[in-house]
Amino acid sequence: MRARAADRGTGQAGSEQPVLRLDRLGRVHGSGPTAVHALREVDLTVHAGEFVAVMGPSGSGKSTLLTLAGGLDSATEGRVLVEGRDLAGLGRAELARVRRTSVGYVFQDYNLIPALTAAENIALPRELDGASRRSARREALDALGEMNLAELADRFPDELSGGQQQRVAIARALVGDRRLVLADEPTGALDSESGEAVLVLLRRRCDEGAAAVMVTHEARLAAWADRVIFLRDGRIVDESAAGNPESLLAGGGAR
Amino acid sequence: MSRRGPRWRAGWRLALRLAWRDARRAKGRSALVVAMIALPILGVTAADLAFRSGQLSEAQQLTRELGRADARYHVHTQGSPMEQSRTGDEYTYLAGGEDDFTSDSRTPAEIERQVRAVLPEGAVLVPDWMTRHVVSTRTGQLKTEVRELDGTDPVTEGMLTLLRGHYPERAGEVAATQAFLDESGLFVGSKLRFRGLDEEFVVTGAYELPDDLGETQVLAPPGTVLPRIGTESDWYLPPASYLVTLPAGEGTAGGVGWDLVQEANAHGMIVDSRAVLLESGGSAGRETQTTVVAGGVSAGALVVLEICLLAGPAFAVGARRSRRQLGLIGANGGDRRQLRAVTLAGGVVLGAVAAAVGLAVGIALTFAGRPLIEHAAGSRFGPWDFRLPELAAIAALSVLTGLLAAMLPAFAAARADVLTSLTGRRGVRRSGRALPLLGGCGLLLGTALALFGGLAVDDSRVTAAGAITAELGLVALTPLLVGGAGRLARLLPLPGRLALRDAARNRGRTAPAVAAVLAAVAGSVTIATYAVGDEAKQRAEYQAALPDGWVSVSAMERDQRELLPQAVRVAERELPVAERAELGGVLPGGADCDPYADDCGSAGLSIPEENRCALTYGDAMALSAAERREWSEDPRCTDDPSQGQGLTSSDMAGSPALGVGGPEILDLLGIGDREARAALEAGEVLVFNPALLDEGPDGEPAITLLETLPGHEYGDGTPEEEADRTLGFPAHLVEGESWGLPALISPEAAERAGLATGVHSVYWTTSRPPTDGERQAFDAALDRLGSPPYGYVESGYQGSDDAGLLILTLAAMVITLGAAGIATGLAQADAEEDLATLAAVGAAPRLRRALSGLQCGLIALLGVLLGTVSGVVSGVALRLAAHRADLADWQKTIDQGWESSARPRLFVGLPWETFAQLVVVVPLLACLVAALLTRSRVPLARRAG
Repeated sequence: MRARAADRGTGQAGSEQPVLRLDRLGRVHGSGPTAVHALREVDLTVHAGEFVAVMGPSGSGKSTLLTLAGGLDSATEGRVLVEGRDLAGLGRAELARVRRTSVGYVFQDYNLIPALTAAENIALPRELDGASRRSARREALDALGEMNLAELADRFPDELSGGQQQRVAIARALVGDRRLVLADEPTGALDSESGEAVLVLLRRRCDEGAAAVMVTHEARLAAWADRVIFLRDGRIVDESAAGNPESLLAGGGAR
Repeated sequence: MSRRGPRWRAGWRLALRLAWRDARRAKGRSALVVAMIALPILGVTAADLAFRSGQLSEAQQLTRELGRADARYHVHTQGSPMEQSRTGDEYTYLAGGEDDFTSDSRTPAEIERQVRAVLPEGAVLVPDWMTRHVVSTRTGQLKTEVRELDGTDPVTEGMLTLLRGHYPERAGEVAATQAFLDESGLFVGSKLRFRGLDEEFVVTGAYELPDDLGETQVLAPPGTVLPRIGTESDWYLPPASYLVTLPAGEGTAGGVGWDLVQEANAHGMIVDSRAVLLESGGSAGRETQTTVVAGGVSAGALVVLEICLLAGPAFAVGARRSRRQLGLIGANGGDRRQLRAVTLAGGVVLGAVAAAVGLAVGIALTFAGRPLIEHAAGSRFGPWDFRLPELAAIAALSVLTGLLAAMLPAFAAARADVLTSLTGRRGVRRSGRALPLLGGCGLLLGTALALFGGLAVDDSRVTAAGAITAELGLVALTPLLVGGAGRLARLLPLPGRLALRDAARNRGRTAPAVAAVLAAVAGSVTIATYAVGDEAKQRAEYQAALPDGWVSVSAMERDQRELLPQAVRVAERELPVAERAELGGVLPGGADCDPYADDCGSAGLSIPEENRCALTYGDAMALSAAERREWSEDPRCTDDPSQGQGLTSSDMAGSPALGVGGPEILDLLGIGDREARAALEAGEVLVFNPALLDEGPDGEPAITLLETLPGHEYGDGTPEEEADRTLGFPAHLVEGESWGLPALISPEAAERAGLATGVHSVYWTTSRPPTDGERQAFDAALDRLGSPPYGYVESGYQGSDDAGLLILTLAAMVITLGAAGIATGLAQADAEEDLATLAAVGAAPRLRRALSGLQCGLIALLGVLLGTVSGVVSGVALRLAAHRADLADWQKTIDQGWESSARPRLFVGLPWETFAQLVVVVPLLACLVAALLTRSRVPLARRAG
């Protein structure tokens, strides 16, 4: 499976429109002498079916990259294009629409709304988009079924294990026609077995045509990706096809 | 393919689901908000249900008045024609028939014939006669209604309700209303006596009048009491009335029609006809009082505002705690409107729950408290009257209150950046400029309006509207002011600095709490400021009737005079009385004549023409307005001897009365003038008001008494022309305060002059001021006498009852502590990380308590200070408005030629006691309570985000 993923790699960037494109992206916090460059001149293109891991030390800009890519924060330089749409030109309501229809997020923890059941959490973007409750639930149940979690549909998050919660979060990130999953350390709060299950799921969804960008500290997890980019001080310092964890560690650490 | 509906609907559906589940999760906070909203809803529901159920339909009202009869015929005259309105409320006597009933000596059978004469053949008449009479009770006498009606007759159904026993069936039996039994101390089985009758009557039953629960009434079978005790002419209605039921048949199916009513009028009767009243829409004539409605709406709006301000921080807490949840919704594509809906839905859900609770508890309380409400209102409810549109409106008000309370937190939460919400970062969010701008405009406009109302418009509603607008403006300015206060933080030590900066940086939760305190305190201080000015005015205007500490017992009516010796014994038993003096008056009709019931004649002192006040004597309206104003300041009017104080009063015709008493009166008054004492003993009249002095035939000072003998009719002429007898007495002018007594003659001299006299008042000095308990015991003992003489203890100005002010201040205190407590709780929850950090760098555990106490105290202090300023401005403006109204009334009184009084003065004062309680005590209390209720140990904090 991993070899097949590696084959997809960067070489897939052909004439097909990328799901995500970051064009000389930069983010500066503050101004003048107190200005902090969280991200500088980052270029990244992610196509459908691609799974990209982002690695780097703390403060390197990994999470900033993810929030800019999803339109949760605004870039001070460069552009973010999601399925060809430049996020800079969108208002708050349109950005919300992009998040409802194009981008899905998975966070390290507290991913689910505690007052909603698993099915309702998955149906959330669809309901927000105006889908009827019944049809949104049907889609949610389908998504849960695909993940073999159908029996957990009416459980609240505090009745689910951490791994189950993350799998529900991934289902929510992809419900509807969304094709871009942005995952910020999705397995950070999970044991290795649950973490592995989550990555299997992400990998499978990418194989089925979605695109994913995952921030992680762990080379072992990054090895599930098609590509790995390394960030330091807000810049991409290296990019490579995912290999074994040792080589990734060596690569990232060397630069 | 999914079906899509409007996104707002989907958003609200989701929001309501989330809000409902959140409300169930945060039970404590939800219960607090529900209680805050439900409490006034409960009150409004109970008031609405009680009001509507107590408001009878015209048909129900008529059943209470007429029972099952078609009409009630009141016999006014012995046949002289009358005219009445359709409702029977207004009527006029034609051809001088108004005196007919006072001199009606016909038998009941003759009177009944008068009624039958105007009714169709076969009409059934049930006599329902009534008068007032004195009845002996266990402790004394009681003047009460005495009614003759056969309570067992089915026609009375609905008029009376039998509570115990049975209605009287034969002579010697009576029933009594529960109110009579309560007041008299009698019970079913007791015996009572009517004044003038020797035999005793047994009370066989207790009943009530559903429409007048407080009425004291004794019921006897027709013809057993009234013909023997007579009826009193001071009663506003003639005693005879009949319940009339027409026979079934053609021409009478519609009841007593207008033609029958007019025929009865032509024969001296007034008719309350069921048919005519129902047709004319009834006599109730309920008018919507716009002032009351406007006042109610304003008060309701302020209560809603107060609740919103109080509940606002609770919603802010909820929104803050749901920050991550809102961030997740935002990350999943929820837009601002949908995020706003999530918090607003919380308001809707809790408002709806509060509506259900408030309505249910309000209705239940009204059911449970029905007897109490009915007794307070004085009448029984009709059938329960649930007005669904009104109850729905009350429920809608509850939901609206919840929605409004959640409004500001909802907008603030929706404005928050999704990323910030997700990561849990905190920071200062600049508040919008629109609200402070609006607030500033409201403050300026409201203050200008209040001052304009107070200084230039004769309508206190303008001032009140201005004051409320200014207060709302100040409420809107609160976030700005709280932010401004934050600048002072650098001057304070660490806990104070932290508390003030936290308050300023988190205006979203601080400002509503401060505003809630502001609004409550402003209301309390407004009323206190107004009341202090009013109190000063009343103190300045208070005129003591008697010297301080004196006690008096006075009896003007015959019933009272009969009880005077008992009342004197009561006073001497209950009060620390010392010296005593009796004062009498000239009673041309003799001591047994009742001046208010009978024609007893009159005796008054003549005021020489040149000393008379033109406003009192003569046609004041003939004077120009300028002349009237001039006269109002003239000593002849300001010292008019006919305007007596407490020591005596004017006679029945309004002339100054001649007091009859010995030298002990002078002793009591502290007048040690030996010449005066000698003059009194020599038969001269002591004159205390020089305006009464005239020149006698020998050139010596003299005084003239004008006597009108019993049987003489009063007219509109001058006293001299009315008098039957004019008596001159040598007079001796006495210097000294006589407390309204114009002149005094000894009983011996009066007797020598052939005057009939009688003691009407007894006065005492006291060895010490009577205590409240002694005064109450005196009043209670007098009351037990039935129709007692008037007892009075002069204690100087006592001030108004401060209980209302105290309750308001306490309410303001409770609201202040509540609002400050809620905001402090939120601040504490927010500050966990800071406290953990402080603890980590070595702060002592007590710092946590200090910080909590200071946060609470600071919110209380800010709110109290702003509220005090706002309240003082409003209170002063209202005093100005009241002063303008006083001036206008005074001017109008003089211009219309009525009695004069001193030009009203402006009294403005500050309620220092209220200030001390609110500005000093409350913030300190808030500090202390918050500090004591805060745990000093810092719980482990988890990293947010």
